[in-house]
Amino acid sequence: MKNAFIRADKSSRTVLVVDDEPINRELLGSILDKEYNVLFVENGKEALRLINEHSTEISLLFLDIVMPGMNGLDVLKELKSDESTERIPVIVLTADVTTELQSIELGAADFIKKPYDVPEVILARARRIIEMSEDTHIIQSAERDSMTGLYTKDFFYEYSRLLERNHREKNMDAVVIKIEHFHLINELFGVVYAKKILRHVGETIKGILRDIKGVGCRAEDNEFLIYCPHQNNYNAMANIIINGLPELFDMPNAYLGMGVCTVQYNDISIEKRFERAKKACESSRLIYATRVTFYDEILYENDKFSEQLIHDMREALENHDFKVYYQPKYDISGDTPVLTSAEGLVRWEHPKYGMINPGDFVPILESNGLIQLLDHYTWKEVGKQIRKWKDKYNINVPISINVSRMDIYDPRIKEKLCNILKTNDLTTEDIFLEVTESVYAEDASKMIRLIEELRELGFKIEMDDFGSGYSSLNMLNEVEIDTLKLDMQFVRNMLTNKKSLRLVQLIIDIAKVLKVPVVAEGVENEEQCRILKEMGCKIVQGYYFSKAVSPEEFDRLIEETIAL
Amino acid sequence: MLTLETLAEYGANVKDGLSRCMEKEEMYLKLVGMAIEDTTFGELEKAMKNGDTEAAFMSAHKLKGMLANLSLDPILRPVSELTEYLRGGSAEDHSDLLEEICMQHERLEKLSSQS
Repeated sequence: MKNAFIRADKSSRTVLVVDDEPINRELLGSILDKEYNVLFVENGKEALRLINEHSTEISLLFLDIVMPGMNGLDVLKELKSDESTERIPVIVLTADVTTELQSIELGAADFIKKPYDVPEVILARARRIIEMSEDTHIIQSAERDSMTGLYTKDFFYEYSRLLERNHREKNMDAVVIKIEHFHLINELFGVVYAKKILRHVGETIKGILRDIKGVGCRAEDNEFLIYCPHQNNYNAMANIIINGLPELFDMPNAYLGMGVCTVQYNDISIEKRFERAKKACESSRLIYATRVTFYDEILYENDKFSEQLIHDMREALENHDFKVYYQPKYDISGDTPVLTSAEGLVRWEHPKYGMINPGDFVPILESNGLIQLLDHYTWKEVGKQIRKWKDKYNINVPISINVSRMDIYDPRIKEKLCNILKTNDLTTEDIFLEVTESVYAEDASKMIRLIEELRELGFKIEMDDFGSGYSSLNMLNEVEIDTLKLDMQFVRNMLTNKKSLRLVQLIIDIAKVLKVPVVAEGVENEEQCRILKEMGCKIVQGYYFSKAVSPEEFDRLIEETIAL
Repeated sequence: MLTLETLAEYGANVKDGLSRCMEKEEMYLKLVGMAIEDTTFGELEKAMKNGDTEAAFMSAHKLKGMLANLSLDPILRPVSELTEYLRGGSAEDHSDLLEEICMQHERLEKLSSQS
């Protein structure tokens, strides 16, 4: 029997004929044998046994209805009630109209009357049914998340649109459910347990969907989406999901967050509504006690602001609404602080919102990749400005420029930087590159490779925000850098917090070991400056000396330095 | 000995029967031979005589499908008729139909045994 499944000389598909009448079996077999491996059994029980053993190998079942013992309709019922055999299409062999109707209602794909049609018709019907069944199977595999059985994201959006079309009279809500800090469950309990949690959440959501007549999907590892008619009590829904998952709450930080975008914001596409629900879900991180967060006016205004900035970005670049300001750095090793260099920082002079600080627009531009355009613009502006100062004052004032997280993925980054040097007749002594430590945590190997390549070209690398991330020391072991920039939070706190003070000393000592200078950011008063100097930090920047200034104001600082 | 000609003379729709056998004469004749020797005829007769309507229906239904596929029309007609009566659980006397079936069966047996 087993060999029937592995015959490769004809078709790779196997069909099973179930009929108690040997002449009919032989007739049908001789027709089907042209295209398929054909198996025969003569009763219902034997058919079920064989199908259960080989459910994945059988492409089509021809089933007689009137048989002694277990009849064909009972076989059909059994097959269609079992998930593993439900997908096998069945063609019923019958001569009776009532049975035809019954069998179609029970899930038969087609029926063939006795006496049989001509062989070509039987083969054509078999081919069509197998093709349809396989297509359906492929679609079902693609539309369902294998772990939870919920829809996959793309199909989910399609089904959501369908749901909306069919229920125009109802107000629909977009709901995002996320297990926050899910990685903790992964790390503490292992992947197997984490999957169990996801399956449980998936199962619970499936149950909820049946009650509220909605659709759902698993969009990301730990993120679920629901599109459903408006509900009055989402806290109750969250509680249903949480029940049975007590382990989640034994862990600090791991919790279930839910964001809801209700009908009042339904003037946009379904995808956009889920973006809003997700924003609501993410904003709930700030308020742990509140599990369910609704997208509201505040989030709406933030969104409008972000969208406006993204919309205005390209025009602002063309109009030169972005201005580079220069944060002076001073050498404090001598008796009098001396201007040595500066950091180029971008500001946005927005025609509607006025001056916008980078803290307000950089995260928005980072989230959609536009930051690369802005960085390139800034680098070019800085290059031009250095040339002007060189020509005007015949001095060297190196300017540091920021290389963002996104820039390390720019395949043309080296070419762009070298072009700026070439265009303005500058060298790598004129432009330093600041890379934020957090990039290392995101993609260490990429960052290490880029830093090595940039250093080979002669660029000096300054490690920005040093000490703020998770991986500072490990990183120093893997990549050579030229300057450590002490995270400004340490400097700000060091007079009031002994731990911060000790960490500042430690970082300065590390820099000594590495034989690289330390730049302290955020120096706001004389006391901080004095302590840093005593500790061996030679270069500082911050309000104590100067805020970031326009190129014209920086002219004045240069002139003052020359006068010294 | 069964041939296409003798079966045509008997009244079988040889053309249809053959087409279901992929035009394979040898196969058609073999299946007709199997049908003539099928024990279901005896089972039908016995069930009818015993008044076992359910068993009679199962046998008649089985014969009906088989004979239809072979297009043995003269015997198929009474078998079909009997099957429909029995499906409805009819307890009436259908001995005329059974006789007709037996007679047609004998005709086939004679065809088969002729040299």
